[in-house]
Amino acid sequence: MEIGVTRRKYPWDWRDGGLLKLCGENRGPLFTLHIRRRSFLVYRSIAGNYGGNQMKGFWIMNKTFQRLTQQGLIMVGAVALSLFVPGMAAQADDGDLSEETKACLECHDKKGLEKKLENQETLSLHVSTNAFLESVHKDNDCTDCHSDIDEASHGKTKTLIKSRRENSLSKQDVCRDCHKKNYKQYEDSLHSALVKEGSKDAPLCFDCHDPHVQDSVKIVGSIAETPCARCHEDIFKAYSTDVHGLERITKGKAAPICADCHKAHDVKAASFGDGIKDSCLACHKDAVTQHQDWLPNAARHFAAISCPVCHAPGAQRRVNLRLYDNVAGRQVSEKSGVPIFKKRAEAADASSLGLDERALLSLLKEFNQDEAQGRTVLRGRLEVRSGIEAHQLSEKSKAIKDCNTCHQAGAEPFQSVTLTIASPDGRPIRHGVQKAVLTSLTATESVRGFYAIGGTRIKLLDYLLLLVVLGAIGMPLLHMTIKRMFRNIREQDEAARLAQRAQTSSQGLPGDRPSADESQQSRS
Amino acid sequence: MHKLYVNPLPVRIWHWANAFGFVLLIATGVQMRYLDLIQVVPFRTAVVAHNWIGFVLIANFFLWLGFYLFTDKIKVYHPELSPTKYFRASFRQLQFYGYGIFKGHPNPHHMNAYRKFNALQSMSYQIIMLLVVPLQFFTGVLLWDIAHFSSMVETLGGVRVVNTVHVLIFIFFTGFIFIHSYLASLSHTPWGHFKAMITGYEEVDDEPAQ
Repeated sequence: MEIGVTRRKYPWDWRDGGLLKLCGENRGPLFTLHIRRRSFLVYRSIAGNYGGNQMKGFWIMNKTFQRLTQQGLIMVGAVALSLFVPGMAAQADDGDLSEETKACLECHDKKGLEKKLENQETLSLHVSTNAFLESVHKDNDCTDCHSDIDEASHGKTKTLIKSRRENSLSKQDVCRDCHKKNYKQYEDSLHSALVKEGSKDAPLCFDCHDPHVQDSVKIVGSIAETPCARCHEDIFKAYSTDVHGLERITKGKAAPICADCHKAHDVKAASFGDGIKDSCLACHKDAVTQHQDWLPNAARHFAAISCPVCHAPGAQRRVNLRLYDNVAGRQVSEKSGVPIFKKRAEAADASSLGLDERALLSLLKEFNQDEAQGRTVLRGRLEVRSGIEAHQLSEKSKAIKDCNTCHQAGAEPFQSVTLTIASPDGRPIRHGVQKAVLTSLTATESVRGFYAIGGTRIKLLDYLLLLVVLGAIGMPLLHMTIKRMFRNIREQDEAARLAQRAQTSSQGLPGDRPSADESQQSRS
Repeated sequence: MHKLYVNPLPVRIWHWANAFGFVLLIATGVQMRYLDLIQVVPFRTAVVAHNWIGFVLIANFFLWLGFYLFTDKIKVYHPELSPTKYFRASFRQLQFYGYGIFKGHPNPHHMNAYRKFNALQSMSYQIIMLLVVPLQFFTGVLLWDIAHFSSMVETLGGVRVVNTVHVLIFIFFTGFIFIHSYLASLSHTPWGHFKAMITGYEEVDDEPAQ
């Protein structure tokens, strides 16, 4: 596994589990250091001009400050050494560039070179040679990507470009030629779906990657360099102060950033299916076992609750009732071009107060008419109300462990209920549901897949319990009272019976049963 | 009056373990369900205790079942296999509790070693022990690990349905505990049946069985 830049052009050639080689350019290694797996991290690349030499190097951070051992100090020293020993340092050198590329850069490496577009936007045409030499595309010729350029007419005739967006769209396919896998993932992503829908904001390749300065993705830059932040600013702001963001700042790649959970190119709607739970569990591998140690029905909690519900203690929560295909075993999605959910939900919710239990059941029946009966059911899931709140994860010690948060009537998570179907691209389409459905007996069938002990208990059963307890105490009390009222009658009847028995006994009728005393005597 | 040995030791052990277990299950169940109204023990403690007691009672149930399956005492549930007599006797027993007992009429049921239960007891205990209690244990086990039994839970209509059945039976047993205790006090002395379930010996009058 590579953990650093391995280009021999630089004074560094290092591979994980092997050796750190401090090399001078065109020289053999000056000395080597054993690298402990994952014990050192490249924090950020640095470059600068020192004594007339263009120098490159990396700040190296020990994983923990305490472990800044002798070896670590040597490494830091090695970095410093490389910066000040001429000849050991890498120098930006355009000798590796083709003559053709050099020719292009002759004009394009001019700051301020730009083009006015039809929509009055400005398109920068400046390409820095130094930046390009550092980029991953330095081995490519300009014409590899700009094959549409006609050398004879380039720069002489004016090409009309509508807008920067149009320009990016027209160049998008160029990336596919080399980055087939990533491009395929992008094409299946939510971002691409939005582009196809005509979104003006959904990202294209060039919105996240500038091909002329694109560094290796293995270099961990500052979190502020993350392109996702440009569109998802509020979410990124929340992330940068939550447990992952703060860890990223101090520990670098050991902590996740956007793409680690949401994928860089295969971006899906975070709320679809199990959401990004698998991403959480990919790093927190023993999370299930750890929860099982103290949390009853841990697997059920994992299935029905998204991680931030407990791990973002300040967040507001809600119940998301999702239309679920019980046979296919997946969330129901609307068919592309056939938007029926909104229409049906609005028709069922005439008052616009949210769907009540009847409306919910009739809506469910409508969906079941499309398919085999009973195929579509509702599966409840507890989640936080916004993406921002999903990125306010706290330290483990601050996560909610108090069962009372959910397991009692009137608990906050059950005050908001929403019904959801997935749009064709996976994003949720929601309609409000009245919270009373969670405690309604008549919603037992429709909300069959969601129940939290105490929190969503059926009210009618409470009344039934009260009635039964009152009856079970009241009936015996009534019975005792009646028995007591009949006491005199019983005593009179008993006296009459005894008198009658005495009378018949004195007459000595044959076949009489012996009295209790007589039978006792006969047994003894 | 004479003493009759009607409650063998395994039955007495099962009965009291079951009784205390059910009371504890009801108590912990109430705590789990009504956390907003009552907080004697933490929710998690109630859940863990509820699960453990439940499993102890499942084992206890098999003590009861084994005893009756492998001894001739099973006859106490079916002294005579005659439905007509059975329902007639049940009706007479109902009449007694609803009217005769006030007037001082004798109990139509006469106990002996193989006729321990009156017809009403026999019928209701069979329904309870062979249908209601197993159903409660079954739904309880499903709810104990819903994810593990998810396909079964889904087949039965989902977690809410299974839980509703569990709660309905809990409500039934809550009422049963009161009624059962009261009916047990309707012996010739208020504590007669309670003592019999401790000593095994029931005091019965000397009238021959009819």
